[in-house]
Amino acid sequence: MRPFDFYAARDSSDAVALLAKHGPSVKVIAGGTDLLADLKFAPASHHPKVVVDISRADDLRGIRETDAGLRIGSLVTHTEIMESPIIRDLFPALVDAAHTIGAVQTRNLGTLGGNLVTAVPSVDSGPTLVALDAVVTIAGPDGRRQLPLAEFFVGPRKTALKPAELLVEITIPKENVGKPTHFLKFGLRKGQALALVNVAASFWVDWDSETFLNPRIALGAVAPKVIRAESAEKFLAGEEITTDAMAEAGRLASGDAKPISDMRASAQYRRDLIAVLTKRALEGAYELAQKKRKQS
Amino acid sequence: MVTVSMNVNGEKRTASVAPETTLLKLLRESFNLTGAKLGCDVGDCGACTVIVDGKLVNSCLMLAPQAEGREVLTIEGLATQDRLHPIQKVFEDKGSLQCGFCGPGVIMSAKALLDQNPNPSVQEIRDGLAGNLCRCTGYSKMIEAIQTIARERTA
Repeated sequence: MRPFDFYAARDSSDAVALLAKHGPSVKVIAGGTDLLADLKFAPASHHPKVVVDISRADDLRGIRETDAGLRIGSLVTHTEIMESPIIRDLFPALVDAAHTIGAVQTRNLGTLGGNLVTAVPSVDSGPTLVALDAVVTIAGPDGRRQLPLAEFFVGPRKTALKPAELLVEITIPKENVGKPTHFLKFGLRKGQALALVNVAASFWVDWDSETFLNPRIALGAVAPKVIRAESAEKFLAGEEITTDAMAEAGRLASGDAKPISDMRASAQYRRDLIAVLTKRALEGAYELAQKKRKQS
Repeated sequence: MVTVSMNVNGEKRTASVAPETTLLKLLRESFNLTGAKLGCDVGDCGACTVIVDGKLVNSCLMLAPQAEGREVLTIEGLATQDRLHPIQKVFEDKGSLQCGFCGPGVIMSAKALLDQNPNPSVQEIRDGLAGNLCRCTGYSKMIEAIQTIARERTA
């Protein structure tokens, strides 16, 4: 790696101050699993003069329920998500998604914030959180701002972060806390694979009419960023919960995507996968909804 | 240059390095601990695996200054002058390694797994080793070795 200066931030406001002071040729390091792998092969023009370490900024840690919903600090690691009793109880889909990322070593270092900020189209943390209408909180020199995660993603490796801004937390809004959600990823193998397609399905059940309420389907790796399958969602809203309806939503979701052909799979193969995985993710979310209903 | 201090295998170690030095390079070149290997250098192969503050990590993906003040355990910290660590002994008895390049990383992963889960299933062992690539063995004898230790420890 080329030389850079290194500063360790005490907390998020210290980090923002360091970013503002040393910008624009500055990068943030948290777990380092994306940044260092990139810097070792990046052209000289992409090398930062300064790296700001936020791995000791403890205000970016922690998972807790607040008045706004479930708040996850950007520095929470994938392992911490997998082991969190609150997340295991409320959102097993987030546990499943975290488990598909890298391997033990990378999950221990890699953070949720880092996964989202890197913003590759196949981002495994993305679909579940987009399906849950998650909101990100960003700290910058002028204070904090919030925006939906779906808008935080702008394109491949592009986010809405401006210079000297830092992703500080991710919030699943109160109305979606506990919403039955299921995540599925299809890669070429089980360990350390990038997704060919990843899908999250989320909906409440109107038990009186057995219909879909506020259905969400989010797709990863099949467009420049994580997208919602809007025609599938529109079809499902108010629809009776049947296997046929789930299969039809899969067909519609497949049409909502804009997959590419690359060395991992053809666009057509990805479209076929979307149809199958969307149906299965809907089935998984319904199974969870039924289980939760029995428990309550 | 920055001065970094940490506890490595129970001993306080200090060195002055450039900030872009990885923990792996620090261990190998400043502390002369060459058990952790440089393989892919991007976190895919696991040859550089060590344990930092009880957590299994790729030392090629951590900057030396990020390890400031932390507890680092490498393969050199397992055996004593007199005897191998039980995991190393079982790997030897079973012939679980062939060329051995992945060995230090695999054994650290096995240790972290067994510390957390004394009686892992085959699937849990495979998951625990998913970040360590071995191109010789096909993993079967590693999995057998880890099962053997788990049986001995829980017997």
